[in-house]
Amino acid sequence: MSASALGTDVLSSALPWSAPARSEDQDRRLHAVGSGAHTKRPTLMYGLAAVAGALAIAGAQMGLSILTTQGSYELKELTSQQRTVEWQKQILQDDVAGLSSPQYLAANAAALGMVTGQPPSYLRLSDGEVIGSGKAASSTSSVQALKKAAVTNSLVSGVPLVTDPDSSLDAGVAADTEALIDPAVPLAVADGLPTPKTH
Amino acid sequence: MTTRATRSPRRRTVIALMVVLIVIAAFVVRLVDIQVVNASDHISESQRLASGTEITLRGTRGDIVDADGSVLATSTLVYDVGIDPQLAAQGIKKRDADGKVVTGADGKPETIAWPDLAARIAAVTGQSTEEVTAIVVDKVAADPTSQWAQIARYVSTEVYRELAALDLPFLTFTAVPSRSYPDGAVAGNVIGFLNSDGEPLEGVEALQDSCLTATNGTLTYQRGRDGVKIPGTEVEKPAVDGGTLALTIDGDLQWYMQQLIAEETSRYNADWGGIIVMEVATGKIRAFAETATVDPNDPGASESEDRASRLARFSYEPGSTYKPITAATVIEKGGATHLSSVLVPSRKVFDNGAVINDSELHATERMTLTGGLVRSSNVAMSEFGELVDPQTRYDYLTKFGVGGGTALDWSGEPSGGFSAQPQDWDNQTFYTTTFGQAFTVTATQVASVYQTIANGGVRMPAQLVESCTEADGTVVTPDLPEPVRVIEKSTADEVGLMLENVFAQGTLADDVKIDGYRMAGKTGTAQITNGKGGYKKNLYFTSLVGYAPAEDPQYVVLTVFDEPKKERMSSANRSVYKKAMTQVLAHYRIMPSESETPLLPLTD
Repeated sequence: MSASALGTDVLSSALPWSAPARSEDQDRRLHAVGSGAHTKRPTLMYGLAAVAGALAIAGAQMGLSILTTQGSYELKELTSQQRTVEWQKQILQDDVAGLSSPQYLAANAAALGMVTGQPPSYLRLSDGEVIGSGKAASSTSSVQALKKAAVTNSLVSGVPLVTDPDSSLDAGVAADTEALIDPAVPLAVADGLPTPKTH
Repeated sequence: MTTRATRSPRRRTVIALMVVLIVIAAFVVRLVDIQVVNASDHISESQRLASGTEITLRGTRGDIVDADGSVLATSTLVYDVGIDPQLAAQGIKKRDADGKVVTGADGKPETIAWPDLAARIAAVTGQSTEEVTAIVVDKVAADPTSQWAQIARYVSTEVYRELAALDLPFLTFTAVPSRSYPDGAVAGNVIGFLNSDGEPLEGVEALQDSCLTATNGTLTYQRGRDGVKIPGTEVEKPAVDGGTLALTIDGDLQWYMQQLIAEETSRYNADWGGIIVMEVATGKIRAFAETATVDPNDPGASESEDRASRLARFSYEPGSTYKPITAATVIEKGGATHLSSVLVPSRKVFDNGAVINDSELHATERMTLTGGLVRSSNVAMSEFGELVDPQTRYDYLTKFGVGGGTALDWSGEPSGGFSAQPQDWDNQTFYTTTFGQAFTVTATQVASVYQTIANGGVRMPAQLVESCTEADGTVVTPDLPEPVRVIEKSTADEVGLMLENVFAQGTLADDVKIDGYRMAGKTGTAQITNGKGGYKKNLYFTSLVGYAPAEDPQYVVLTVFDEPKKERMSSANRSVYKKAMTQVLAHYRIMPSESETPLLPLTD
């Protein structure tokens, strides 16, 4: 830009900073480097660009920082939600703990009158033959999973059976013994006398 | 002048450069010192000085599961509830529905007094109001500035949340890792339990602690004034959870066996009883039941002697259940077969002066080796035992595991063994070793003997632990001894056939028969030492051990009673054995046999 204004060769236009110095060399050997009106504008431009860039970076950083801070508040909120849900999960787990234990299931089955411990017989599908004794199952169970429940589980002790809410793994027995020890004490009736429901 | 002029700037440059280099070098040294050599000190110091927080990340102790993956032991949290007595005694300000402090007529805020607050707490914890009130009142009376007292220990999450919802600023809650055993006493003898400090005391909880135990981690970060984590300041060293321990125990089968042995032990009035179910092909123990069994949820409810496994720690002279080993020895080394016969009186005085009696009187007859086992004749086994030298018999008993312990490596498990080396056997011991006396074994070792015979002569190491799956998914299987070929397959088959005849032709035949299945086994009525060099009178350790189906053995079942008093001999074990084996066959869907036991001659 400045080179073409001073009429120097085209090549020097690629060297805008050295061009004015060279043209003035002919007048004086040494003098302070002049800063012409033409050179001021680009400097300002670059300076502005640099400052704007710096401001932009600072702004972006501040924005990001605000976002991360915001994010960490959200994180805190979610973490506390997660904690609440974990507590709920723990409470529910505590509630159902032991309900899947074999002694509780077997006691429930026994309360329904189911029996266990019968020698198995199998029916072969290919020819319809019965493998094994083929005898009918006996009506007595080989173990008394409810009446003589021996495998304790403190998690379900006293929890009423699903199939017979009046009995539980150990309380059923306890109620009987209580009645035997002190027959004079009548059993408490909480919900009125049981009456048959007829329609 | 020219030399000074030219030299001096260069020299100055060199000197300046050197000074700069020295300074840089000093900085580099210091940098390395700070960043590398003393880095950890500075980091910890910075964390101490900064407004940072260090949190211990608790790893979770691993679960214990059964062969099907059902959880037998799992980790959970319970809470200790603490209180600041000094603050609590002052009560709290009464607030209305909007959260504003209610002021009384005098303009001062109204307070809710401690006894009222204690009632609220007691309603949740289930304690009495007086009890809770007293905790604070007593503490303040003793020390007015006291800042901590215990309200309750190990409360459930539900109670903890209800207490927290009371919004009392002076209550503190500390989470305490705890153990929960969903199946209660099922396999409690094997699982063991932890003490209240979380240290394992018994069973696999203790034996496999290295698998189950977790490694704690830490989380450090800096916090802003409002307690929010400053992003980018977290340094986390994650906790490593404990591994999942899989047992070979089948929980459902284990429950049945525990229920069964408890009923039968009380029915026969025995001191205690036990059942072991072992898989023939692998030596894996599927049930290890005994009376009485601890409920690991509440070990305190059991008598202290009932909290560990008796079955794993009891050793005894096995008696007749070891007669098949004599049979196997004389078949392999004495040239005998199941048809070989000897003349058997019910009492015999041997040439060396030893006197051996059979448990029942019988006419003198020529008994085959099969007959000796079926009638469980001590005299017959002594006579057959003479066919081989004591050292060979000792070697065979040792090969069958006597004195070798088991692969279970149970804590406190006796290794058993001989009372004397074969060269020191006295005249009586020379014969009694043919029918299971003068050495002791554990119940697991007895089960292993029958597993060996059922498995064609190869003993698989007894096994209770299937594997440990670490938190990163690595499956670690326990180091077990190699399988051992104890006797030849042909010998095992021949002994097996004789054991089938014990069940088919012995006195117990009708009581133990399961329709449709061929079975093999042996009874044992072992004498119990009275601790004074003799045996207890009329009290026995009875056992019945066998396997089914005999033509393709799948499972060994061992039942034992200590000192049954309703029926004192091994006949007490018949019903428990039959029920146990029936359940095993049904549980594992094992097909009935399609052939009958070939009957071998008992007499010649």
